[in-house]
Amino acid sequence: MFDVITLFLSSVIIYSIPLLYGTTGEIMIEKSGSLNLGVEGTMAIGAVAGYVAACRTNSLFVGVLVAFISAALVGAVFAFLTVTLQANQNVTGLTITTFGVAFYYFLGNGLSNSEGGWPMLGNTTLAAQFADIKIPLLSDIPVLGPVLFTKNILVYFGVLIAVLMWLYFAKTVPGLKLRAIGENPGAADSLGINVTLYKYIHIMIGSGIMGIGGIYMGLNMGGTFEGSNCWINGYGWIAIALVIFANWSPARAILGTVVFGLFSTLRVYNVAFATAFPGVLGWLNKIPAHFFSALPFIITLIVLILSSMRKNSSSGEPAAIGRNYYREDR
Amino acid sequence: MSNLHLVRRADYSIKRVVIYYVIGILISLSIGAILLMSLNINPLEYYGRMLTMGMVGNSFAYKSVESLIKIFVPLLITSLALGLAFKMRFWNIGGEGEFLAGAICASVVAFNSKGMNPFITVVLMCLAAMISSGLIGLAVAALKVKFNTNETLMTLMLNYIMLYVIKYLGDTKADWNFFLREDSERPIFGEFPENAEMGGITIGFFTLQYSLIVAIILTVLIYFYIKKTKHGYEISVVGDSAATAKYAGMNVGWIVLRTMFISAALIGLAAGLATSTAGTVSDSITNNVGWTGIIVAWLSKLSIPAIFVTSILISVLQYGCRAAATQYPAIDSNFADLLQGIILFSVLMADFAATFKIAKREDASNV
Repeated sequence: MFDVITLFLSSVIIYSIPLLYGTTGEIMIEKSGSLNLGVEGTMAIGAVAGYVAACRTNSLFVGVLVAFISAALVGAVFAFLTVTLQANQNVTGLTITTFGVAFYYFLGNGLSNSEGGWPMLGNTTLAAQFADIKIPLLSDIPVLGPVLFTKNILVYFGVLIAVLMWLYFAKTVPGLKLRAIGENPGAADSLGINVTLYKYIHIMIGSGIMGIGGIYMGLNMGGTFEGSNCWINGYGWIAIALVIFANWSPARAILGTVVFGLFSTLRVYNVAFATAFPGVLGWLNKIPAHFFSALPFIITLIVLILSSMRKNSSSGEPAAIGRNYYREDR
Repeated sequence: MSNLHLVRRADYSIKRVVIYYVIGILISLSIGAILLMSLNINPLEYYGRMLTMGMVGNSFAYKSVESLIKIFVPLLITSLALGLAFKMRFWNIGGEGEFLAGAICASVVAFNSKGMNPFITVVLMCLAAMISSGLIGLAVAALKVKFNTNETLMTLMLNYIMLYVIKYLGDTKADWNFFLREDSERPIFGEFPENAEMGGITIGFFTLQYSLIVAIILTVLIYFYIKKTKHGYEISVVGDSAATAKYAGMNVGWIVLRTMFISAALIGLAAGLATSTAGTVSDSITNNVGWTGIIVAWLSKLSIPAIFVTSILISVLQYGCRAAATQYPAIDSNFADLLQGIILFSVLMADFAATFKIAKREDASNV
């Protein structure tokens, strides 16, 4: 009986951490005052480039590095177009998504039809590097041990990034300056902060973090390329929703990730639960899987509307979000 | 410090914009050619096939034109509708969701229309679609006006909520679910009765669908609506500056509500026409027009005649890539999206070059 719960919670962690990467990356970008709707595409490019590099070198480290760099380059395109060239952020972001997902298929189909074929994960040393790591002592705790402390290295890394980013925003001077830019770039500029440089750096790092989430998803899917389904499969959009749900806080993003992960995992586990606990959870059987898929978006919509109705000052939404900053229009 | 900086060009020349755009598109096609060569595909041959859409030497070429029109009509109407909202600086990126809502409601009419007059059926389908989509647009606009809720994120969420609604309808076998085929064990969307299918004027083998005629008339009407009516003028004033509009005595809230209802209802109309043309409904009925429409409207700088032309070009690109994909196993129809992305990136750069110029910073002592 506890097995079902352990397995379920374990899946929640495994499948929701890519969301955490996407969300923390997007938070970093939005804190600089830019709304990047290209999460899905950025993750797709990071995923496919990182995965291929990882397989070629048989090294998870190289794969993660390539995923980060390739996604950061996509971020550089976004920054160049929106910060330097003043292009519209919505349109640029959506185009990055279209482009990124198409690039995923382009590379995937191209490699699958080439001589070497699509690189397989199989039983390579790469797969071993992605295997679960047992943290001594902690992993022996019942239920919590297997759920939280027996996970692959990218799970721990994702949480570490979120915590570090929270500290960066809350405790450091560059973090403070970044938040100032997101609230009022004109005022930040007049204090001598290099707005353009800050935006470039944070858009690129944020995109790079999304890329790591991408390669995580690829490895999680066993690295099989299907011509019809992208690995990212809408996670980029859920990440954008999650940023709102987390109120632009990387620490709350960890919590939000688990909550959203719970829904998407329930989609798969609802029948198992209903069978294991027919008395208490039998009703789960009646709820369609699609409802759980839609739930993150429904909740975010409600949060979005309610928070705009309250209009309180505790909202973490950067005031200047979505608007380009052109110094001479000030 | 560098002594170069950006200044907005004082003059605006259409000729310059067009030249820069053409250069941008040529550069994108060259990048596409390099990508094709990396797959050992001859780019000239590929582009040739793409542009002719497999029609050369094909006695069924008229079929290609019919398929092209099926892609073109929903894309054109959706792009026009999105352009209307964008002109008001209202970020309706919910084209997908509004389209799906319209498609679902049009199908409700279609599946229950057995024995009805074909003309009335199709009109009712379109009306149902327009009202349902329009109400979604109206709700979003109302929240924006009343509470200043972020409309970009709201419409984005609605896209996915509607997607799962239609997936649910397509996957759930139940007595009440008239969307599905009754004779199939597996859940499959059923086909509409014949009277719910879009007719057309038959010329030889070729059928010119009425939906194309509707789309063309609509383009002209929207052009006049924007250029010649008070409503159109109000939209552009609100888009330039809501404060100006307010001080000029315009009721900004009412204008936003009205325009957003029209924008979403037009997307519903596109959905009504598309379902009727397809003769069925599915979760891929949108053919991504909600996303592509945004790119089309932006590439066209929200100008109605330009949207018309761009929609044709993008439809050719999409259908052409689909047709060419059958010849080349190493590449699939997603190449159209890749090219579309590169084209938009280059056009954004071209647009920048046409509106800004790099100038030397003047020495402060000279002023």
